[in-house]
Amino acid sequence: MNLPVKVVIQVESDRMKKAVAGVAAGVVGLAISAVGTAAPHAASAAEPVTFTVGIQNEVDSFNPFLGIEAESYEMWALMYDPLIKYSPEDMSPQPGLASDWKTSSDGLTWTFTIRDDVKWSDGKPLTSEDVAYTLNRILDGGPESATWGSYLKSINTITAPNPTTVVMKLSEPNAVLPLLPMPILPKHIWSDISEEEVKSYANEDNVVGSGPFRLVDGTAGGSIYRFEANKDYWDGAPNIDQVVFSLYKAEDPMVQALQIGDIDFAEGVSPLQLDAIEGTEGIKTVLGTSPGFDEIAFNTGSIDLDSGDLIGDPNPAVMDPEFRYALGFAIDRETIADKIYQGAGEPADTIIPPAYSTYHWSPPDDIAFSYDPERAGELLDAAGYTMGDDGSRTMPDGSPIGTLRLLARTDSQYDASLKTMTYFKEWLADIGIDSEVTAMESGKLTNVILDGEFDAFQWGWYVEPDPDSMLSYMTCGQLGSWSDSWYCNDEYDQLYNQQHSELDEATRAETVKRMQEILFRDSPYLVTIDNKYGEAYRCDRFEGFVPQPGSDGVLLFQYGVNSYLNIYPTTECGQSSDDAQSAGAATATTDDGISTATIIGVGVAVLAVVGGAGAVIAYRKSTADKRA
Amino acid sequence: MSAPTSTLVADAEIQPSRSERRGSGTWRYVGSKVLGSLGALLFVVVFNFFLFRVIPGDPVRTLARNRLVSDKQVEELTRTLGLEQPLPQQFLTYLKNTFTGEFGLSFRYRQPVGDIIIDRLWPTLLLVGTSTILAALIGVYLGMVSAWNRGKVVDNVSTGFSLTLYSMPEWWLGLVLLAVFAVGAGPIPSLFPTGGLHSTDIQDPNSFAAGLDTAWHLALPVITLTLAYLAEYSLIMRSSLLDEMGEDYITTARAKGLRDVYVRRRHATRNALLPTTTLVVLNLGFVVSGAITIETVFSIPGLGLLTTEAMDVPDYPVLQGAFLIFSAAVIFANLIANLAYSWLDPRVRT
Amino acid sequence: MTTTSKPALTARQVAWRRRRQSAGRTWAEFRRHRSGLVGLGVLVVFGLAAICAPLLASHESIEVTKATGGVLEAPSWDYPLGTDADGRSVLALLIWGSRVSLMVGLLATAISMLLGTLVGLASGHYHNFFGKALFRITEWFLVVPWLPLAIVLSTVLGPSLLTVAFVIGIVSWPATALLIRAQTLSIESRPYLERARALGAGDWRQMRRHVLPNVMPMVFANTTLTVAGAILTETTLAFLGLSDPLYVSWGSMLDEAFNVGAITTGAWWFMLPPGICVIVVVLAFTLIGQALEEVYNPRLRERA
Repeated sequence: MNLPVKVVIQVESDRMKKAVAGVAAGVVGLAISAVGTAAPHAASAAEPVTFTVGIQNEVDSFNPFLGIEAESYEMWALMYDPLIKYSPEDMSPQPGLASDWKTSSDGLTWTFTIRDDVKWSDGKPLTSEDVAYTLNRILDGGPESATWGSYLKSINTITAPNPTTVVMKLSEPNAVLPLLPMPILPKHIWSDISEEEVKSYANEDNVVGSGPFRLVDGTAGGSIYRFEANKDYWDGAPNIDQVVFSLYKAEDPMVQALQIGDIDFAEGVSPLQLDAIEGTEGIKTVLGTSPGFDEIAFNTGSIDLDSGDLIGDPNPAVMDPEFRYALGFAIDRETIADKIYQGAGEPADTIIPPAYSTYHWSPPDDIAFSYDPERAGELLDAAGYTMGDDGSRTMPDGSPIGTLRLLARTDSQYDASLKTMTYFKEWLADIGIDSEVTAMESGKLTNVILDGEFDAFQWGWYVEPDPDSMLSYMTCGQLGSWSDSWYCNDEYDQLYNQQHSELDEATRAETVKRMQEILFRDSPYLVTIDNKYGEAYRCDRFEGFVPQPGSDGVLLFQYGVNSYLNIYPTTECGQSSDDAQSAGAATATTDDGISTATIIGVGVAVLAVVGGAGAVIAYRKSTADKRA
Repeated sequence: MSAPTSTLVADAEIQPSRSERRGSGTWRYVGSKVLGSLGALLFVVVFNFFLFRVIPGDPVRTLARNRLVSDKQVEELTRTLGLEQPLPQQFLTYLKNTFTGEFGLSFRYRQPVGDIIIDRLWPTLLLVGTSTILAALIGVYLGMVSAWNRGKVVDNVSTGFSLTLYSMPEWWLGLVLLAVFAVGAGPIPSLFPTGGLHSTDIQDPNSFAAGLDTAWHLALPVITLTLAYLAEYSLIMRSSLLDEMGEDYITTARAKGLRDVYVRRRHATRNALLPTTTLVVLNLGFVVSGAITIETVFSIPGLGLLTTEAMDVPDYPVLQGAFLIFSAAVIFANLIANLAYSWLDPRVRT
Repeated sequence: MTTTSKPALTARQVAWRRRRQSAGRTWAEFRRHRSGLVGLGVLVVFGLAAICAPLLASHESIEVTKATGGVLEAPSWDYPLGTDADGRSVLALLIWGSRVSLMVGLLATAISMLLGTLVGLASGHYHNFFGKALFRITEWFLVVPWLPLAIVLSTVLGPSLLTVAFVIGIVSWPATALLIRAQTLSIESRPYLERARALGAGDWRQMRRHVLPNVMPMVFANTTLTVAGAILTETTLAFLGLSDPLYVSWGSMLDEAFNVGAITTGAWWFMLPPGICVIVVVLAFTLIGQALEEVYNPRLRERA
């Protein structure tokens, strides 16, 4: 009785095949129509000029009162304006929203003149009311003061007597002014947000700002941030229509995206990768100076803040400035810059980087550091740390120095922290000093520093245009807080207070330089290098970047938005802006993206359906007898 | 990927203890399982609080470095984060918030933890869920084919393939696939994007084109994870099927003269599917942990990556919320697996 | 009538002789599995390489401060597998890395097996609150996702070889414990154990004399599989930057390769060999483990 069964199977599988074919046709049809609808989008006439930047860290908040990441600062700079901007050449104060400013002779009154031609993105005019409101909100304390409060030190009142004037009254002169980098926010929007609400106000929808760009789409912690240009910007409309930031969690894929053309600019590229893409057609690489340094910091005397007793057992040798200064000659900064940072660092010796030329101090040749182990030995001998019989140096009183505890961070870029300390250990051994290296995560290191359980560690700082904050970290007042070397010197503190209120720039610069000299001599830090930052961009798409600070500075993530305001689309590298315009520069969008994506997506979908259908057919065929 | 399991462990994991099998009826069994799950969940809630406070590092200092100078500002930040309360009080606040469904604000983003987690949840679900399902389908099929053709070339090739994939770190496979197909090696052009979830030129995130674009970005990660997961399923399916095929009732069926194919299909497969299905359900519970390493390699903004980033601060609210979700998902999956197993396996039902 | 009889063997001697014979049979059975033998051979090679590391490549060749090669050089006669970003020979790194990968894997397994076996035995044997509590704890450890837990513990304990091994042991013991527990329960339901209990055998005696010997073969098979998993876990943790930064392991090589941009710079010699080594070693352990499973579970064997 097989025949009827076979017939049944035949019929069933025919019906099956027809059903499957129908479904498949339907899907393909749908896909084709999708391509159809997508295609016109790709081929539409006036494509917006979009500048795409690859970044490696998320924005943590679009609310200027809350965020702390560098990426967030960059976003606020695009959306808002500060009172004062910074010159690309030397970081000196430039007019921003404030077109002019002056101070009284006693320094206790500051008057700012606010531009009268600025409008918010909702059309309302920007006046001194907005400025006073923003600054007062910070001055009042509360969550708003967390990030920006330190810039308003010594200020008692801030008033806006007329729409173009802001007056500040101080209790004592403050040399840090007019450094006011905080974004100015619209009073008519933010006065509706209470102090409690501001703690979690995201500021991501319908943001009202005065800046050169407006936020179109993006959320804190997201992976794509989209901005469109403000064509009515008071400082001139940008030459581009859109800026898009795209997040990559690793450098390699980001650099690859640049090469393929998915992004136009790659931020934070390591020197090795820069070398690898160096000669690529259409790509230009930059290793720009970024004002910051890395150092080997010592425990100059960790004490209990209440009792004054020593805590953490620092090695007595390390607490001696003569000892530390001598070690400055046992560090080969050239090797560090070359081998550890692979060129992303310049040998350095002070805590104010050369980028801040007004305040930077360079040690004279007779005391400047160089890699000279012999000289280090001589200095150590002179200080009483003579070589013992066993090849190790001893304390002046003859007792052994012991093993220095060197701490490194496991989470540093290029693994520089650990490598620096590994090399340091070798160099110390070369001059007869024993040490051991321990690696730990940054959070843990912070705790260890506060407990004083170390002799030396490796870390770094980013230095603001005004040296005040960096200098403050070395004052006695910061012990137990931001001071990580436990350095406390009365002369230094006195000079700090002086420069803080010194309004004459030349005098102030002298004082700051003198402070650096003291630090150099006492060597609580042995500065190793000044940081450099790698960037790469498609010069066959955009040119016109403005480096800061100085001509070998970084191109983006600066103190300001100079590059965004000045770049223009090009068709070839090195093209001037006029040539680019006349050549009718192509759009910078990668419209390949859409069609390839659609094709592959459709292809995969069709394959999946056909494959699935085939499998189902095969299965049913072979189990046909079961269902008979 | 969960720690490797052998057939033996798979069996051990899902067979309820003997004392639980006895009892007056399935309802009591179900009840005890649900209660057990709730208890596990409660334990997790309490444990999570203390677990993260053990991580070294002060969130305030981490969030403040290179930025704040005055003690007043640091105090302000501490108050904002709610860290100025003594620990027992923080714990009580935490418990109260958890039970009212309020998970607090992330230290880093200052946004509700719930929102952040949901934002990051769907890429992970999409990525790992799709991979698990595909891997289950393909893996089970491969395992079946292997077992039926034991000893033949098909079996050897398939088993060798599975074993090799099983021994491979999945993120390394991802790196290789990235290098070959996304970057392009030699004659192979760049076929896929090198990372992220979206192309930057998709203007409308809700369009069909945007959906296809996301699919294109997820293609390589999904392929990687599918290959990584299917190895385990195929091996286990093969083992348990071989196990079943050695059972007495198979021999009996054969003796009765039933056709081999029929025997295999009807009896052995269905019973061998049992531990495998349970394993799939269990693994689905781990889906939410996200493939942390794959998300790193392919820059997929998912839950796994959120967790690793949160540990750098440490962002207690996010960590607590994330771990709670992970554990809850696994507990829930375990519950389902246990109930399903007892329902499907007539030997267990009383 | 004189009878020369062999001296009587003590009970213990009889037991040992039986164990030796059984071991011999196991080995004979194992030998029939070609895959297991291949795995064993591979392990011997890697083990020797790890032990003889100082002979094969001087320790200097992996020290950052003494590196002599160029940065990310392609393979050449001097450097058969090229160099890494610090100029060290990748081949030397591979050889020394095997020490860490293998050692951490074995140490973690020891911790895991010890913990797992003890807990498994106890929770299977004791049916009182203690046993149930142990079972709940085991279940809890299975519920919490292992990688985030490992990351948290690593961060807390700091990255050193010992803590990494400890962390891996902590996240992998539950699987063993469950297995042992199931096996214990099954063994204890057998008649001869009931008899032992009826005769008044105490807990410890029961476990030691009856349960343990019967559980051991399963434990043995499971151990090799656990080592495989432990090595994979160590590699993953190293890739995430959680391994001891003072030592080179295959995972840390891959982490460095990824961070340094091996894909962009085209340094395939830095990215492929460590991964291949991991695969080969883990595969070897897995093959041995599978062969052992078949030896101990006759139903998995090919029917004659």
